Amino acid sequence: MNSKDKPDSALVIGAGIAGIKAALELAELGHRVYLCDRKTHIGGTLLQLDRWFPDDHCGMCKVLPIFSRDRSSQYCLRRGLVHHNIEILSATEITGVEGEAGNFAVSTATRSSGIHPDLCIGCGKCSEVCPVEVDEEFNQGLGKRKAAYLANPTALAKTYTIDAQHCTRCRACEEVCPTKAINLDMQTSENTLSVGAIILSTGFDEFDAQAASQYGYKRFPNVITSLELERLLSGSGPTRGSLLRPSDDKEPQSVAFLQCVGSRSLERNYCSSACCMYALKEAIMIKEKYPGTDVCIYFMDLRTAGKGYYRYFEKARDELGIRFVRCRVPRVMQNFKTHDVIFSALGEDGQPIQQQCDLIVLSVGQTPSAQFVQVSEMLGLQRNRWEFCRTRAFSSVESLRDGIFVCGSAAAPKDIADTLTEASAAAGNASLLLAAPGDMQGDDQQSGEQAEDMKAAVFICTCGEEITRALDTKELVSFSGQLAGVIHAGEVSHLCLPETLAQVQTKIRDMGATHVIAAGCSALTGQKLFGNLPLEIVNIREGLAWVHQDNRSAATRKARKLISMALARLRYARPSRTVQSSIVSAKGLVIGGGASGLSAALRIAEHGHQVELVERSGEVGGKLRSIHSTLEGEDSRALLDDLLKRVSENPLITVHTETVVEHISGHAGAFYAKLQGSDSEPYELDAGAVVIATGADEGTTTQYLYGQNERIITQTELEERLAAGQMDPQQLNSLVMIQCVGSMEAERPYCSRVCCAQALKNALQLKERNPDIQIYILYRELMSYGFMEEYYTRAREQGIVFIRYEPDKKPVVEAAEEKLSVSVNDPVLGGAFSLSPDLLVLSTGVVPADNSVLAGMLDIDVTEDGFFKEAEVKFRPVDVIKDGIFVCGLAHSPRNIQEALVQAQAAAERASLILSRGSLVSGQSVSEVNETWCSGCELCVQACPYGARVKDADKGVALVVEALCQGCGACVSACPNKAAKLRQFTDRQILAALDEAL
Amino acid sequence: MPRNAMLEVKGGDITGTVRGFLEKLLEKKAVDALLVPVEVPSKKNVVQTMVTDIAQLADVSPLAPVMPVNTAKIISSVTKVAASTKKVGVILRSCELRALVEMVKLKQADMNNIVTIGIDCFGTYSVTDYAVFSQEHDTPAGEYLKKAASGTDTLLRPACKICQYPYPLTADMTIGLFGLPIEKEILVHSGTKEGDQVFEALGLDGEADPAKRDEALSALKSERQKLKEEFLAQVQQEAGGLDNMLSVLSACVACHNCRIACPICYCRECLLDSPTFVEWEAEKYLDWASRKGALRLPADSLLFHLVRMNHMGASCVACGLCEDACPNSIAVYKLFCLAGSRVQETFEYTPGRSADDELPLTAFKEEEFKGFEK
Repeated sequence: MNSKDKPDSALVIGAGIAGIKAALELAELGHRVYLCDRKTHIGGTLLQLDRWFPDDHCGMCKVLPIFSRDRSSQYCLRRGLVHHNIEILSATEITGVEGEAGNFAVSTATRSSGIHPDLCIGCGKCSEVCPVEVDEEFNQGLGKRKAAYLANPTALAKTYTIDAQHCTRCRACEEVCPTKAINLDMQTSENTLSVGAIILSTGFDEFDAQAASQYGYKRFPNVITSLELERLLSGSGPTRGSLLRPSDDKEPQSVAFLQCVGSRSLERNYCSSACCMYALKEAIMIKEKYPGTDVCIYFMDLRTAGKGYYRYFEKARDELGIRFVRCRVPRVMQNFKTHDVIFSALGEDGQPIQQQCDLIVLSVGQTPSAQFVQVSEMLGLQRNRWEFCRTRAFSSVESLRDGIFVCGSAAAPKDIADTLTEASAAAGNASLLLAAPGDMQGDDQQSGEQAEDMKAAVFICTCGEEITRALDTKELVSFSGQLAGVIHAGEVSHLCLPETLAQVQTKIRDMGATHVIAAGCSALTGQKLFGNLPLEIVNIREGLAWVHQDNRSAATRKARKLISMALARLRYARPSRTVQSSIVSAKGLVIGGGASGLSAALRIAEHGHQVELVERSGEVGGKLRSIHSTLEGEDSRALLDDLLKRVSENPLITVHTETVVEHISGHAGAFYAKLQGSDSEPYELDAGAVVIATGADEGTTTQYLYGQNERIITQTELEERLAAGQMDPQQLNSLVMIQCVGSMEAERPYCSRVCCAQALKNALQLKERNPDIQIYILYRELMSYGFMEEYYTRAREQGIVFIRYEPDKKPVVEAAEEKLSVSVNDPVLGGAFSLSPDLLVLSTGVVPADNSVLAGMLDIDVTEDGFFKEAEVKFRPVDVIKDGIFVCGLAHSPRNIQEALVQAQAAAERASLILSRGSLVSGQSVSEVNETWCSGCELCVQACPYGARVKDADKGVALVVEALCQGCGACVSACPNKAAKLRQFTDRQILAALDEAL
Repeated sequence: MPRNAMLEVKGGDITGTVRGFLEKLLEKKAVDALLVPVEVPSKKNVVQTMVTDIAQLADVSPLAPVMPVNTAKIISSVTKVAASTKKVGVILRSCELRALVEMVKLKQADMNNIVTIGIDCFGTYSVTDYAVFSQEHDTPAGEYLKKAASGTDTLLRPACKICQYPYPLTADMTIGLFGLPIEKEILVHSGTKEGDQVFEALGLDGEADPAKRDEALSALKSERQKLKEEFLAQVQQEAGGLDNMLSVLSACVACHNCRIACPICYCRECLLDSPTFVEWEAEKYLDWASRKGALRLPADSLLFHLVRMNHMGASCVACGLCEDACPNSIAVYKLFCLAGSRVQETFEYTPGRSADDELPLTAFKEEEFKGFEK
């Protein structure tokens, strides 16, 4: 097939955060994307959550594009998403797929929502008259809604929808709808999409806690799920953010969280990976709001195996006084008079625990989504035993079918950071199958012309009677008409309707208006309504008519002020101009030649860009060279060989071994680096993007007599000896492993994430080679997250003994002559236990390399723990706040090989996104420097979070790297002399608007 | 290790002793040039002078109690375009040194090759007072030191009377006077590596006991603290609130001399000198006037001071030169001292304490001002 016939578009199924991110990545690369969801709105589970661990705030908007940002909406994703290259197909199901990778024909069926979205003005009258009441999904059934309802109450476009299942066809809504938008004869429309690749981001279904009857969910009113709790704590929830328990609407004095509901059980023997952390977050939210409430988390292992997670746990325990109790076999009963709930379980020591509390929260796990199961049948994808998508070895985003990729919880339970990393990686994979995008730049080249005299047209929307009820639009029209510079002022009935808009647009053209003011509702925001004419939108509906229904004259006065302010802003608006761009060097620089670096370099090269890869040591391969297999039994040697072969054969990749980065500076699109080899001349290069993959080191220790006795080795030493045949398991009678040596301690308060899996892997391998060997694993929390849980189970089945120890009662190791002795306090048996192993193996964890030098040169941050800091923990997980720099692998945080590889792909994808552009285009609203007034004090340089301001050494004044500027205005605030200015927010405009307001 | 040495004062000529020390600096090539106060021929004033020839040190007068210009401003103009490639020793009073540290943070001065020689300062007179005083005495500096030591000098500028840091905070070398029998000996102290190099070059080490000076300083500090609190309370009463402030500032002729004298005001061209706030259409002025029935003009005189206060507050070193520069004797220093003290307390920031302290404006702390949130 001719490559010209290949589609340049992709389909993303599932419009939760993973789907949104994947779609945006592809759209930013210039591809067309169909983003489809069976629901009537996008946003997925995250719409129902307010903030996330471990930084306790929302950063969803951080997934929006940085470059060419005017092509996308720039508001909260809960309110919706508009992007030039993304077509959102809501209420759409996939009905069939034909073809193959690079050329799929996908048939879709789109349900009519019963209300025409173009005609609906969001007045809510249909909902008012609707006689049907059902549980409201948005609030997890804690509130009620009608059959005609707003599915996403937070969306900017208040588009109502009809719930076909519950609608009784009474047709009351049809009669009352002012715009005749309702048609209850709901049809399904079918369509066929031609796409080159498909990304599945169908997320997860929450475990149905009713299926585990011991928790009393739905039988006892005060047993709720974690998602229900999120709704109760949310300002947009049924209680407006007050935590009131369902039985009596009282504030609970004691709340207990029960972990692993639906996870780590016989039926679902996997860990849902995110519940420990979200329970911590919810517990913190409760404690911060109600410090007097007793909050206790009942758990088996507290899995804080992510970046910054252990510190978060310590904050919860030590600063907020949240209690943690280890237990198993939990049951819930209730006092039928008070509805208080009684929780009982077995403590770690086997003694029964009982606690009465006001509210119980079930930390429900992730189960495969029903939608995924259905779609995977259609696509012929394989599923694993728990019905999640099966993926390829070392590539968790590739399904077993070519051209179909997955991200997020479709393939395994995940948290948001890992989900978004996968979304970028999946998009990168998909992009390789698509025809080169026809539209790489396409940003509107706006004219720099400005008419000498302002001829403004003012349109005042009445919204039927919605606005006229609260204020006098007629008066507003006559007021506006008299303002200087206004050539037309008029009423329109529904400005948002396509028909009206078309009329208005014609009018504007005919009368030759140069500026437009549209007074109406918030749905007008972010729309390119009138071509490129300077436009001000004045919200006189939600922000005015709705809140001032009782004082007509004051409301009208306020509307007048708002219109004259908008006019003042327009009057002093500077002409929009051709958006600035800076030329990009199309080369990628990858620092570090381990698995992550190699993989990132390959992916960038696959996108067609040259890559320079710098490795400090004499050979590439890094830590992967000391990994001989994975817990899942995959061949990591084969992976290494494959990576080495592909890198050496790729003509676009240049590898510099025994080379360090001596100097690096610059910004996205234009980095300059000087490399220094051990015995060669310095090598200089320009690069458009930098990927940091400098890895980390295995921890060293002096604890437990390490280094003093040859029978005491590290986990990696054990693995190497086993692989090299230097050790005969047959000769071993017993072996002890100690976990968390140096990790989750005061000096290194983080979990090294990889050691538990490594211990399980080595222990199982020893057992396989000598089933009689006695193995004891002394651990603190067993971090077998995700599908690793099964290996933990298998290890116990094979007789490996797990003994937990407390950090203040560490095992004691003694070495006398030939014998080692390890004594440990066993909390289960409640006494000291003495072991005499032949070999003691220490899991010494992961320590960051000295990242400060590179961080210093690049002017970027490292975390408290010494790893490179990402721009946003969850929503920009591989980006560094300074654009153009990406981080992956162990340089980012401890992670296993699969996780590092997916991160490398994500980083490479993000880097390619810059390299693929000829130039970086900024938004219209960027900062500027008045060089006469600038004294070069660099306050703005320090204030700019994006590295978009630098000092021009020759002129001694600040300089704006426009492509990096996000228009936040921090520089403007910092500058004492108004030498820093923001286009579209000039002093002149703001002072004039203030004058009108006062 | 801080190093100390005593310099013997012969015949009670303290200025001569310091001059001898400075001559040695040039002679031993510890520095290539000196920026020091030199008496003008009329003896009515001293001015900062860049000296490379030892002979030109004959009229050096580092102890004369007058500070026409804050030296930090001079170092800024000397080093801003390009740092010095030769070693320059600079004599600085504490407020000059603190201002210099702030200028460095604001990238308006470069300390490369600058060796700071701080002097203990008993305070200074206004330029006009000094011009009179210097004519009344043969050795004005010596006369002043006698008076200063007795603590009864009525000519001192208000800023000096309550100065909290009369001793240099970060100097490479310090010439110590407080608490010492300065008729007989004065102290030379090194606080940095650069200072140590000078000690080496001059072969300065010897017996020295700075304890007496430390004692005197701590007594002085607590006394000044009290005086400052009383002073601020009084200013609060006189100038606090918009009405009082307007009446204090009513004499302002918008000459902006205070801005020019201020060592912290660093903008090479001030926005407030531009037409931004004053040149509007007449219609605008009439519109503003009609809103309240009256409009004080020039419209920007209060704004000018408020803006300056806002910009300078955190870094104000309380040198008081703004007030000296005012042709109408407006108590500018009083206003700035009050505002500056409050801002600095709020941010726990002492301007000039250390080049490592981040400027409050750019220091981002995730948790701060919890009390302000409520």
